Amino acid sequence: LSLHRPRILVIDDEPQIHRFLTPALEASGYEPAQALTAAAGLRDLAAHPSDAVILDLGLPDMDGKDLLLRARSFYQGPVIILSARDRELEKIAALDAGADDYVEKPFGVGELLARLRVALRRDPRRAEAPMRVQTGDLEIDLDLRLVRRGGGAVRLSPKEFELLARLVEAGGRVVTHRQLLTAVWGPAHEHDVQYLRVFVGQLRQKLEADPASPALIVTEPGVGYRFLAG
Amino acid sequence: MRPVALSSSRRAPGPPAYLCAIVVVGLVAGIAQISVPPLAGANLAMAFLAAVFVSAALFGLGPGLTAAVAAGVTYNYLFLDPRLTFRIAHPADLVTFGVFLLAALIAGGLAGRVREQAWRAQAQARVTAALLEASRKLSAAPTQGEAARALADQIAAAAGGAVVVLTPQDGALRILAAPEGLDTLSDTNASLAEQVWETGVPTPPHEMSDWRFSRLEGVGGRIGVLGLRGVASARDERLLEALVQQGAAALERAGLAKAASENEALRRADELRSALLNSISHDLRTPLASVLGSATTLIEFDADLKPGVKRDLLQNIAQEARRLNRYVGDLLDMGRLEAGALRPKSEWTDVRDVANAAIARLPPDAARRVTRDFSRDLSKVRLDAALLEQSLFNVLENAASHGGEAGRIEVAAFEDLAHVLIAVDDDGPGIPAQALHMIFDRFKRLQGPSDRSGGLGLGLAIAKGFVEAMQGRIEAASPIVGDRGARIVISLPKTTPTPRDLL
Repeated sequence: LSLHRPRILVIDDEPQIHRFLTPALEASGYEPAQALTAAAGLRDLAAHPSDAVILDLGLPDMDGKDLLLRARSFYQGPVIILSARDRELEKIAALDAGADDYVEKPFGVGELLARLRVALRRDPRRAEAPMRVQTGDLEIDLDLRLVRRGGGAVRLSPKEFELLARLVEAGGRVVTHRQLLTAVWGPAHEHDVQYLRVFVGQLRQKLEADPASPALIVTEPGVGYRFLAG
Repeated sequence: MRPVALSSSRRAPGPPAYLCAIVVVGLVAGIAQISVPPLAGANLAMAFLAAVFVSAALFGLGPGLTAAVAAGVTYNYLFLDPRLTFRIAHPADLVTFGVFLLAALIAGGLAGRVREQAWRAQAQARVTAALLEASRKLSAAPTQGEAARALADQIAAAAGGAVVVLTPQDGALRILAAPEGLDTLSDTNASLAEQVWETGVPTPPHEMSDWRFSRLEGVGGRIGVLGLRGVASARDERLLEALVQQGAAALERAGLAKAASENEALRRADELRSALLNSISHDLRTPLASVLGSATTLIEFDADLKPGVKRDLLQNIAQEARRLNRYVGDLLDMGRLEAGALRPKSEWTDVRDVANAAIARLPPDAARRVTRDFSRDLSKVRLDAALLEQSLFNVLENAASHGGEAGRIEVAAFEDLAHVLIAVDDDGPGIPAQALHMIFDRFKRLQGPSDRSGGLGLGLAIAKGFVEAMQGRIEAASPIVGDRGARIVISLPKTTPTPRDLL
């Protein structure tokens, strides 16, 4: 019986981060691998098939976004970014360049591992994105373009539905403003963040139990939105 | 270019001009007498008219009219029958004489007026040139002091006399520009100036003072007070006024420029501060991430972790917490230095004791690499032992981290005639020559952002700050052996070469 232990590559120049991440990943049933530089990380990623990458954005030898773009040419799996709060732009650029999610330093391992689980679950190589979501009294079926709440149909405008569909498809991962705007309104509107505020507000009114403190469509300040089901 | 002096401007022609006009007429009369054949009739009249014209053109209206009268009189006296009398025999000559005199007066008057207009134009041109020059100098003055001096120079050159410029500083009027040798105003003058500053009303002539004060007004309000001495009040009043206005504008501009550059300096300081804040927040967050990550790993996976791993995580937490504590200590020290709140004590101290204490604070593996080379007899110096210990500790820590894991550190204490010196040597790779002068700068890490073990990059800057607060000096040298090694020397002044009370 061979149980596959997902291989997780951690690229961070701080040895102290590896010092606790390695045992934490091991204890969670993963097979951790370490790289202290961007160059070493790219080499490792090219040589060994990895199931997910945890990438620190503050690497001394390469900009995180560049590393991501290079890695994406041969690696399609999930990438979770470690970043400081004050490096907002770098973080968004990395997400737009194809990172799946991010965790802000300092972080508790529980938070990182939860993001990692979501990212692995939603890895397109492993499973199809869910077309049906049921959470509480809310039921969303993307194939049928149907949204029901407490048994009754919820009427959504086409744009509202598109927006909801993009968020649901991401399955718990953060979706940046730009990703949402280009997907729903087109590339010409990639900076019109105010559209999102209006339409997310309308969606919350129709879907959230308490629109004032949303639990379903969560704001990631300055970055984007996240759909949390269950 | 020297300021144009207005004192050369022409005013009313003086007595010599009138005399010259008469001489010219006399000259023409003489030439007419001795010429062969003698000039007569219309030719003679023309010659006299020419003399009047020349006089008027050269000397102005008054001398021109004088020449006309002189020509008429001479013409009558010398050339109209009966000659050598002022009587006129023939009625026809009377008409001739009348016409001649009228023509001479008109010619003299016209030419003289043209001359005087030319003089006025020249004078106006000089005023304009003086103002332009003053304006150029004043607008080029980068500071209030220089603007005030330029104003004083221009006024002194244009109107003569002495000039003093006062501006308010720290709540009182102070001299910004004054003639050589004048450093303070007498009490009377100072209070007169103060009064003008407050009221804006120029001082009337005062029996106790030969200064006349007036307030310098800018666009945005009062700027200062101008004092004049020995300036004729009637002379070039308008030029003076224009100069004063320009001077006030220049003073105001220089004051605004100063305020603007102060704002610029503040803005730069702000930028630097936010850059430092970014750097600090990153440096603080990294150990925090280790502590939080290790602690949460222990909490979440307690049962699944091997004992060795648990111990390693706990050690990681302890190490990183110490590192954080050191950063906070460094930041506090730097804050004390920057706030100027450092009040070093001055106590007789044996620096060998301080060095030993600093070495003892090093981590054991670093302390083991230290060798001591202390002079047997060493003068005591007056200093703050705590500050010196922290400085030395920072220097030692720097040597320990840059000398490499196995590197040796040598601490020497010795003295020359005026100083006690402590040298810390390491045998690491040394400091590049171009970086030698910046190692005491704040947040300077030579190995770039990947080298985070060395701390915030504040240690040597704090050492320098502390040593200098005790009137000492700190210097670095590298390489010291072959092409390797670095030496940092702290030199502390001996208050007296040999403290008598301690021997």
